[in-house]
Amino acid sequence: MLLGRGVRLAARLRKAGGGSAVPGLVVNRVAPGFLGDVLSSFPEGLVVVSGSAGKSTTTKMLVAILAAHGKRVFTNPSTANITQGLTSALLERASITGRIDADLAVLEMDEGHGARLAERFRARLVLLTNVMTDQIDRFHDAQQVQAMLARIAARASDAVVLNGDDALLTALAPKAAVVPFGVSVDVLAAAPRGLGYAATAPERLETGTRVVDVRGRQARIEVRGEALAVRLPAKGVHYAVDAAGALAAAEQLLGTAFDARTAVAALDAMSPVFGRGEVVTVRGRQVEFVLVQNTASLQLNVDELDEGLDQVLVAMGSDVRDPSYFWPADTARIGRARIVSGSKADEVALQLLYQGVAVDRIEPDLGRALDDFLALPEPDRGIKTIVFTADSMRRTRSHLGLAG
Amino acid sequence: MTPSTTSGPRGVLALFPELTDVNGDAQNALVLARRAGWAGHLDVAVERLAAGEAPTSTPIAVVLGSTTDPVLPRLLEALREVQDDLEGWIEDGVPVLAVGTGLEALSRGIVLPEGRLDGLGLVPAVAEPLPSRAAGDLVVRAAEGDLVGYENHSRGLVLDAGVEALGAVWRGIGDGRGADGVRHGSIVGTRMHGPVLAKNPALADAILAGALGGTVSVRGETAAAADAAAARIRTALLASA
Repeated sequence: MLLGRGVRLAARLRKAGGGSAVPGLVVNRVAPGFLGDVLSSFPEGLVVVSGSAGKSTTTKMLVAILAAHGKRVFTNPSTANITQGLTSALLERASITGRIDADLAVLEMDEGHGARLAERFRARLVLLTNVMTDQIDRFHDAQQVQAMLARIAARASDAVVLNGDDALLTALAPKAAVVPFGVSVDVLAAAPRGLGYAATAPERLETGTRVVDVRGRQARIEVRGEALAVRLPAKGVHYAVDAAGALAAAEQLLGTAFDARTAVAALDAMSPVFGRGEVVTVRGRQVEFVLVQNTASLQLNVDELDEGLDQVLVAMGSDVRDPSYFWPADTARIGRARIVSGSKADEVALQLLYQGVAVDRIEPDLGRALDDFLALPEPDRGIKTIVFTADSMRRTRSHLGLAG
Repeated sequence: MTPSTTSGPRGVLALFPELTDVNGDAQNALVLARRAGWAGHLDVAVERLAAGEAPTSTPIAVVLGSTTDPVLPRLLEALREVQDDLEGWIEDGVPVLAVGTGLEALSRGIVLPEGRLDGLGLVPAVAEPLPSRAAGDLVVRAAEGDLVGYENHSRGLVLDAGVEALGAVWRGIGDGRGADGVRHGSIVGTRMHGPVLAKNPALADAILAGALGGTVSVRGETAAAADAAAARIRTALLASA
């Protein structure tokens, strides 16, 4: 334990804010049992949230609902959902005896790492969001992702709460009771491009926790037969489905103590999910700025992006003399870049294309790229997101007349 | 050539990426696998071998990236554990791309300020200190055309007489003495670090042709977009040279 803390401190001192996975890496080497021991130490058990998309939002929602019910919840920042980061997050809170002072843990786990970790934990409840096609490339095929999630689901003792509209999830047969959540026939019919799952189940749920209406940031979600008016952290049916998953899991965990009004109030009070970068309003559009300065910050920031964002601009300027060092980053999560810009646009585009990211347009002129990007209609999912290096950030601010 | 129908994917092996990806060199394995896919060979995938692991199958190509000087002994140790496999693959003509200190590790030895490290001896050459550090753009005239990239290193490979370099340095330092890299058997080596194969599709496809046993022709919009970007990078660099 002391070893990990020392390493964490050293990592922090070396680079402020950049030491997320390093201490965990060291502890996992010297004390491989640490992670499993701590994960098993919560009096009210462990909840694992996994799936292709919506893990972070669902985790935050579930934590908010449980906390509003008076539970002391340990959770991991979403950047820490791989093994080393998870260990680091646990180390930060663990006492000298390796215990964390919380009633239960709600942990987001990347499906690949979660599957590898599965032998080392027992979960009270496993919550599975979906298997999405935009993540498939990383894991070769949907069946592979399904198999990973099956391994995680097998560790559940009480219940597996899963998306009942996702055919690859409903095909799972865990030992624990399956509690599905989903959307109504009308909600699915209103989603122009479907829900994005690799395979959609043929039937909709008739009972249970269901999204029955979504208008902008307002959703109606049926829980125990009662339709609750839920305010979403951003517009989009995906967020309503995330909320349904969180509500279904909370109801399962809290039992008779579950109070619908407390749960709705907790979701209302959540800040929008776009708090990671700086959100500005320019020309009537909300835009999130994400600054990347090196490989690690590129990776951390990309991992923090919502999956399936449909409007991303990536810009790299002359401050990056040799863009080689961006190549180790896994940028597949960006999914699709509407425009790649800056004086190193071609270099960035190469990295993205080989990572499997769709690049709609390469426009080295940043001013023109910004004008055209902002002129695009509001995105279907998430908000307009600009990922840039420091030089491109300065030019962007100057072009848009923003301070700093 | 038709895609293989044998069971399991054919692997482009990244050797010890946890040690050799400091500049993204190990990602050249991804470049080869993607281009194979773009050429219709959908069963080609990246495989990674971590230091201390034993190879379980024969790859169709091998990528050995560069590491830092303090990690060189560890890289050499890891390489020695797979030396028999590596030699067997090279004997069978499996193409190997070796970059920077990865290439040095395959030579007979590396001269460091604190002494000499023995290499694997697969390339008839010795890595010796350059008069000063070489950092910047590197342009090499090679059989595949003008190759462009970025170098950042402090040693040059001194080839034995009769050993062929990758090409002549047109801009930058390379291994000093007017040349960069090596071609020896199925080994291609260079000082161009990072995504050298992404920036030089002709070199990538030449290596792939050796790996797949036939000419390689990428198709589709993504390949066209990537190669157009690479062509613009090359044109801009040559214009400024």
